[in-house]
Amino acid sequence: MTGKQKKQIFGAIQTALILIAMFIMLVPIIWIFLAAFKSHVDVYQLKLFFTPTLENFSVVFDDPYRLGEKLLNSTIVAFVTILFAIPIATLAAYSFSRFSMRGETLMLVTILATQFVPAVVIILPFFVMFRDIGLLDTRLGLILVNLAIVMPFAIWMIKGFIDGIPMDTEEAAMVDGSSRLQVIRNIVLPMAAPGLLTSAIFCFIIAWNEFLFALILTNKDAVTLPIGLGLFKGEEGDLWNLLSAAGIIIMAPMFVLALMIRKYFVQGMTMGAVR
Amino acid sequence: MAEIKLNNLTKRWGDFIGVDDQSLHIKDREFLVLLGPSGCGKTTTMRMIAGLEEPTAGEIWIGDRMVNDDLPKDRDVAMVFQNYGLYPHMTIFDNIAYPLKVRGTDKSEIRPRVEKAAEQVELTEFLHRKPKALSGGQRQRVALARAIVRTPKVFLMDEPLSNLDAKLRVTMRAELKHLSRALQITTVYVTHDQIEAMTLADRVAVMKNGIIQQLGTPDDIYNNPANLFVAGFIGSPAMNLINGSVTDGMFVTTGGTRLVPVKSPDREKAILGVRADDMHVHEAGQGDIDVTIYAFENTGESTLLTVQWGKQRVIARGDRHLRKDQDDVVGISLNQDHLYLFDPETEDRIEM
Amino acid sequence: MRDNTLKYLLVLPAVLVVFVTAIWPLIEAARLSFTVGRLNRPGSLDQYLGWENYLWAFFEEPAFWNSVWVTAIYTLLTVGLTTVFALGLALLLAPGGRLRSSAQALLILPFAMSPALIGVSFRFMFNPEFGLFDAFFGIVFPPLADVSWLADPQLALAVVVMADVWGWIPFLTLVLIGGLASVPRDTVEAAQVDGASGWRVFKDVTLPQLAPVLAVVVILKSIFSLKTFDQVFMLTNGGPGTATQTLSHYIYFNGMKYGQIGYSASVAWLMVIPMIFLTYAYAKFVFRKADQ
Repeated sequence: MTGKQKKQIFGAIQTALILIAMFIMLVPIIWIFLAAFKSHVDVYQLKLFFTPTLENFSVVFDDPYRLGEKLLNSTIVAFVTILFAIPIATLAAYSFSRFSMRGETLMLVTILATQFVPAVVIILPFFVMFRDIGLLDTRLGLILVNLAIVMPFAIWMIKGFIDGIPMDTEEAAMVDGSSRLQVIRNIVLPMAAPGLLTSAIFCFIIAWNEFLFALILTNKDAVTLPIGLGLFKGEEGDLWNLLSAAGIIIMAPMFVLALMIRKYFVQGMTMGAVR
Repeated sequence: MAEIKLNNLTKRWGDFIGVDDQSLHIKDREFLVLLGPSGCGKTTTMRMIAGLEEPTAGEIWIGDRMVNDDLPKDRDVAMVFQNYGLYPHMTIFDNIAYPLKVRGTDKSEIRPRVEKAAEQVELTEFLHRKPKALSGGQRQRVALARAIVRTPKVFLMDEPLSNLDAKLRVTMRAELKHLSRALQITTVYVTHDQIEAMTLADRVAVMKNGIIQQLGTPDDIYNNPANLFVAGFIGSPAMNLINGSVTDGMFVTTGGTRLVPVKSPDREKAILGVRADDMHVHEAGQGDIDVTIYAFENTGESTLLTVQWGKQRVIARGDRHLRKDQDDVVGISLNQDHLYLFDPETEDRIEM
Repeated sequence: MRDNTLKYLLVLPAVLVVFVTAIWPLIEAARLSFTVGRLNRPGSLDQYLGWENYLWAFFEEPAFWNSVWVTAIYTLLTVGLTTVFALGLALLLAPGGRLRSSAQALLILPFAMSPALIGVSFRFMFNPEFGLFDAFFGIVFPPLADVSWLADPQLALAVVVMADVWGWIPFLTLVLIGGLASVPRDTVEAAQVDGASGWRVFKDVTLPQLAPVLAVVVILKSIFSLKTFDQVFMLTNGGPGTATQTLSHYIYFNGMKYGQIGYSASVAWLMVIPMIFLTYAYAKFVFRKADQ
């Protein structure tokens, strides 16, 4: 066999492996996608060809499922969470990035560490407290605990973006006559805007997909989409076509958002430990 | 317009000393260059004048005001940064206008002043662009325009030409010189490039390890270096430093060659400094001493001969038509009017 | 305002939020772990009984040790498998080009899928009557045709592991592709010119330089594996029996279903301890990078 032939065969094997890997990555997603358009009868058969129907999508919004309410809850909770988290995180991130403070490393490590505390530990005391002050099954309560998982991400991610803004520019603005707060408003915020948007999207996805807090804290009024998945149980077990339709409604907006922040995905998830 | 006075200025980070108890008086309208290798404290000194760094000790006066406790914005200085520090999200017009806007200058006044500044640095046609769409030289001009758009008390320039390519640097240097003569504003200019220092400065302060080694006109520091460091730092190629001693009124190399008469009393160790241009090249046997060529380089405008002199190598500049080869033997003689004697212990200059 | 005051004011709100949402619950959970802590018994949240909850977990509760065991196996398997597969996929995809770039772009999609949803979709696919994987395995290896995956203790754990590995491979692959990109090309090229085979180049040059990134990947994945809850809850709900009950699920079950807040808080704190070590290791990498 010549070197060229060897190379070709090797290349073909690689291409095949990549295609298989992509297939495995996509099959569960495609399968849900297909099931969402199947009728109640078709879903219990392994059919690839069927008459697609949009019926599932209207059923999930009707009684008794009322997915619309859950959609509204998820949207409000995720939005208000980032509405609080991003500005607060931005100010802190700027300070961490640009100044040295007493106890700075301790603060940063603590913030990093809180990210790794199991959610189930955080939620026990909150459940007790919310029960006592009547915040159970409210969006406000959910927003509050969501801050716990979103803030560390936001601070570390935004700090990474601000670290990337050259000091020169800020110093130029200060010599040009700006106060520190003017520098933040006129120079840092516009320059960090793409990073802030990326961080906001990242945190939105995290809050949107959050499961355990919502499972424990909500049961009726403030139920979010991921918990809503538990509703689709009939007498003979799971109603797969409806579950899939609901799954699409949860996934689709996140796919769009995730594709928008693809470039910063790794940086965000590892908080700068890589790259 | 104002003079700048630095009194016993010190900057320390923990054990590291950036600037060590230095005093400097920069005259009104003077163009002063802080020159030195990286880490010598020149940029730190400038940043303390700008207010971007807080001194550990000492006083900074701009005009008749002690500015130690003033924020950068209140010091009325303009600064050009090494990487220009342009605002990438603003147009060139807004970049230049920013110092005026943020100081609340009347709107009607801003446009003519920005246009005038842009004209002075030949940027008029780029005012609507963003910095990203400009070349390095053009960005440099924006930074300059942003500094000259108002009339600050002091200009501060931190290695403003170091990011330009060699050719553009020469052009911008001339433009900078022209502009500074026209504007007549006190300027502090930081660089590690001795040619920039020599060409632009009224006076040069050569720094090393946080200490000003010598303060003087370019002529002064070139022709009268105060110590070994200044002698070795200024001039290209670097000054030749020949080890030897002073015996019976003569400088004697370690190899035993009695080279030149000196007035200084006898001393066991001394260093003789001589620039390449003050070493004349002759045919073998016709100079003061014969040496072997280690490397022969033709730079176009002259030739450089690195020659083996005992255990040392020295560089002599030859005529541009001279042609020699490695291992050839040539004679060299020294120009006795331009020799420098140093004490190797203190590194200070000794009267010859 | 001087920077010296301002810098503390800027971090204050964030520090407060982190304190209230993360530090306080930790402290409060520690307090609860020493109480009787029954949800349905008023006053029991302030009734202290010392180390009893911890002792109970250690000596009286086989279910606790079962969940420790499940979590350990689960963590070991998922960390190992995900890392190995992700490294392979990263090496396949790193060179770039059209096919590889589009494959890299697709890798982001499973991240957007919430773990709960991954649990649902795997339950769907391993359904013994109309599940896709089930049918697929039946064709490839007929003896598996009629296996009820989720009803068998060992196989159920295998499915939970599979779902987790599936969900995490894309992320770790992207991290490792980034790591591979930061291995200086000239070191690889130097080894090639020196005559090393493809495998030797990988083993002698690429892998050692990738080691810090791999370490980060393993630490990070271990942390997330230890915490796993969402998929397990949606996929098997800990079953059959307690065959797939991870620590998080055990804590949830005792706290929320049985109302034993005090006891579950003590188990939760036992779970925090390995996290502290892992976080410490992780922080070392983050700050080592910052020092460079």
